[in-house]
Amino acid sequence: MNAYLDGRVEPARRLSRFLVFGLAVIIGVSALTARLFYLQVATGPENATLSAHNRTVLQAIVSPRGLISDRNGRLLVTNVPTFTVKVRPADLPQPRREEVVRRLAALTGSDAADINMAIDGNPGSAFDLVRVADDVDKSTALLIAEAGPDLPGVEVVVEARRNYTDGALMSQLLGYTGPVSAEQLAGLKAKGYLPDDLLGKTGLESSYESDLRGTYGSESVERDASGRRIQVLQTISEAQPGNSLTLTIDTKAQKDAERALRWAMGEVGIKRGTVIAMNPQNGEILAMVSLPTYDNNQFARGISNKAYQKLLKNPDKPLINHATQAWYPPGSTYKLVAGTGAIADRKVSATTKVATKGYLTLGQTKFYDWNHRGFGPCDIYCGFGHSSDTYFFQLAAKLGIDRLAYWAGQYGFGAPTGIDLPGEVSGIVPSNKWKEDTLGAEIFPGETFQAGIGQGYDVVTPIQLINAYAALANGGTLYQPHLVKEIVGPEGNVVSTIDPTVLHKMKVKPSVLKTMRNAARSVVTLRHTYNLVDLPIKIAGKSGTAEFGTRDRKGRLPFHSWFVGFTPGDPYQGSFDKADSKLVVLAFAYDSRTKSNAATEIVKYFMQLHYGIKKDYRNSLTRGNFYQSN
Amino acid sequence: MGVIRAEPARVTDWAAKSVGLAWRAFDWQLLTYAGLLAAIGLAMAYTNSVEDGKLPLEAGTTFTRGLMWAVIAIVAYLLATAFDYRWLKTVAWPIYALQLGLLVLTLAIGDGVGGSARWITFGPFTFQFSELAKILMIIVLANYLGSRQGELDSLVSILGAGLLVVPPLALVMLQPDLGTSLVFAGILVGMLWMSGAGLKWLLALGALAIALVPLAWTYVLRDYQKERLTSFLNPNPDIQGAGYQLYQAQISVGSGGWLGKGLTNGTPAQSGFLPVQTTDFVFAKLAEELGFLGAMVTFLLFVLLIWRILADGWRSRDAFGTMFAAGLASMILFQLIVNVGMVLGIMPITGIPLPFVTHGGASLVSLAIALGIMQSINIRQSKAEW
Repeated sequence: MNAYLDGRVEPARRLSRFLVFGLAVIIGVSALTARLFYLQVATGPENATLSAHNRTVLQAIVSPRGLISDRNGRLLVTNVPTFTVKVRPADLPQPRREEVVRRLAALTGSDAADINMAIDGNPGSAFDLVRVADDVDKSTALLIAEAGPDLPGVEVVVEARRNYTDGALMSQLLGYTGPVSAEQLAGLKAKGYLPDDLLGKTGLESSYESDLRGTYGSESVERDASGRRIQVLQTISEAQPGNSLTLTIDTKAQKDAERALRWAMGEVGIKRGTVIAMNPQNGEILAMVSLPTYDNNQFARGISNKAYQKLLKNPDKPLINHATQAWYPPGSTYKLVAGTGAIADRKVSATTKVATKGYLTLGQTKFYDWNHRGFGPCDIYCGFGHSSDTYFFQLAAKLGIDRLAYWAGQYGFGAPTGIDLPGEVSGIVPSNKWKEDTLGAEIFPGETFQAGIGQGYDVVTPIQLINAYAALANGGTLYQPHLVKEIVGPEGNVVSTIDPTVLHKMKVKPSVLKTMRNAARSVVTLRHTYNLVDLPIKIAGKSGTAEFGTRDRKGRLPFHSWFVGFTPGDPYQGSFDKADSKLVVLAFAYDSRTKSNAATEIVKYFMQLHYGIKKDYRNSLTRGNFYQSN
Repeated sequence: MGVIRAEPARVTDWAAKSVGLAWRAFDWQLLTYAGLLAAIGLAMAYTNSVEDGKLPLEAGTTFTRGLMWAVIAIVAYLLATAFDYRWLKTVAWPIYALQLGLLVLTLAIGDGVGGSARWITFGPFTFQFSELAKILMIIVLANYLGSRQGELDSLVSILGAGLLVVPPLALVMLQPDLGTSLVFAGILVGMLWMSGAGLKWLLALGALAIALVPLAWTYVLRDYQKERLTSFLNPNPDIQGAGYQLYQAQISVGSGGWLGKGLTNGTPAQSGFLPVQTTDFVFAKLAEELGFLGAMVTFLLFVLLIWRILADGWRSRDAFGTMFAAGLASMILFQLIVNVGMVLGIMPITGIPLPFVTHGGASLVSLAIALGIMQSINIRQSKAEW
């Protein structure tokens, strides 16, 4: 334009645009003024009362959580009052947060990092309370409650906490309750869960959450300026207490099982193990122990992150229930499948003699019997009784992998048992189809041999294995194992009884199973299991050792040991011709390189304790890299 | 608005202009209104500190920090006034780069509540760079639109302005700070309007923006943001959840009446009745303690301030000055209406500070810089008629 303007551009001012902008200012501010007038002058006095005095809020009434007792009515969990410290993040000024958290940590003896994690992981909004410390002692609780302005946004609440009577003994079964997570809350908000709610995180507390929780009520409450309750104005709906559970578990059997397992683990330093006892006539679990374990009271009191990480990092996985949530190779206990299948499919009869040898040759590979000698011509009682590998190689070959898989399915392998505990896994039963789907090849003949003796691809959970032997013991019915017997209402009325659920009935003649029960008895009478036959009660069963992992310098593999056994209906005088057994017991010892079968000794010890046998028949366990039997 | 009396540009010799003439062009009213608003802000800081049970001059209170930032703001204001604003046009692109850089830095090393990244901490102080970024955005847009006077009927120029705003808006959105990103949009709309951009294009852009709302609702906004945006529409608000602040704020406002309870007589912060009252909800406190009349005085000061900014923009003989004034006025108006509207429950809940009154160093210093630039524009025009 000209030199003076030094690059300025003459603005294209438009009066109309300025006027409209001015109009927008006037309209906007007028709207604010009108609203302000309405709030302050027109309805002001009303608000002034609300502000100066107390206010009414709708609050949930937490329902008492249902209790859990064993089959004899002994309480396994109770609710105890406890002080919980909570923070409302919106009331905690950001600049003071660090200081407040530090003081809280010092007062409650917890880690400041854990408190920060709880506040940042708050599943609700900034106006919802976040639980930062559970189970605070009374004097600390009073101190915090009275700190007021020094701890802004911090509140102390009295809540009910779960107190597990036996702690670690029942942890794997009962599980524990803990604070709801953000992900869980998203799905549960509609069901009335609160952002600072507790719920069953694992075990029966989790699988029966909807029964135990009950229904929260609601009430309108008058609160003062600092949020303290002054009075309940009106109860809109009462809280409905949760239902209680009566378990199939017998505390004494559970203690016996734990004692037997701990004894064997202590003898030779076994790191993991499982004992299960159940009634084969209805699937009721009498005892279920998985070691190592944890103390669920630690979780109910609010576990510190440090302690939790320690449990997570333990290589023997104490948080896992090894009876249902882990699978292992079944070893010789699996010979039940090939034996039953071969007789039922008429590949052999009970009396057919099969030549057993030191080894069988397949192509270039030698498949050895466990004693490298064989047992001569063997029928099923000899083959199963001595656990002859070459006997079962031949039965498996006669059946073929797919019939073997069929009979494994008949015994319930390859599918979860449906036990009422969360996180059950299903195991693997190899077949041609399975191998093609997963590995893209057919089964080799050698793999069929291996499948016949429970090595190779087969993996089972302890609960599957005991359930299979339960079906053998009861004459061919596969029940769904369960831990809960009855659901009881708050007034003690039985709401529902858990009837035995039949998964399926095996398609097999009763006589075949009778033969297999007697073959299982011969395992004991042939002294394959040392002195088990000397006990005053009758036991039939099968031991197993299953190799896993990597070979040592001498080419030897570490192994797990198994034993599953059952007694007749009358344990002293009964006969295994009948399918009237009331007790089947399984023991599993992980990486148990002992000279005798550790699992057999565990079951023996359990039986002694369970039936009150005074004389001690146990063999002492010693470390050894070889197991001489199979 | 009887002040819109434009003098046509007259050629005089800038170099011969005396200092006295320059100071006559200085807009004393603009300074006065802004100063009074900042004083109200300090008064609110004082009352909050006292109600927190602290001595007002104790170190670390809202009040002492407010005083410190006020001093910094005055210095920033004077420096910006002395600085020849015409340089801003030369360095507009580096300023744009600086703006994006600060926002990226905030995302990278910033802190915030619950995993957000909104402010950067320097020792005991925090600074929210998105506040400064808003002023930088106004400078960049003023340069862009100012240099395209006469071409603004074309869609390309309008889209260009829009494209300039997208990156900083997106960066702020990522913090996530929905409120501030809306301010960026508000600034753009105000400046396009005042630039004389073609009406049909503005209408088309408006239609497009409305069409994008459902998309943003589904894909961009988080659940809690939606809850906050809609809670003011709910006749039975969830007073324990998203509607909690709102409910509390309206009770506070309502309890003020005509004359208010007087400074330091409001509901103490500790009561938990009015969370974050020192920040975005400060107007609730103001209305409670200073009453309807106090709020009216505040509104009046804002209207006068916006009037002065617009008048200075009208008077500017440089399109950059006009556009800068338009951006600044748009920003203040937008923040005033959205912030106060939110407290009064007629606007969605978004975290937008009330200019001058909300305690926040970044906001105050950024405003001081903007007003300083405005004065720099005033005193570097040839005429000072009014």
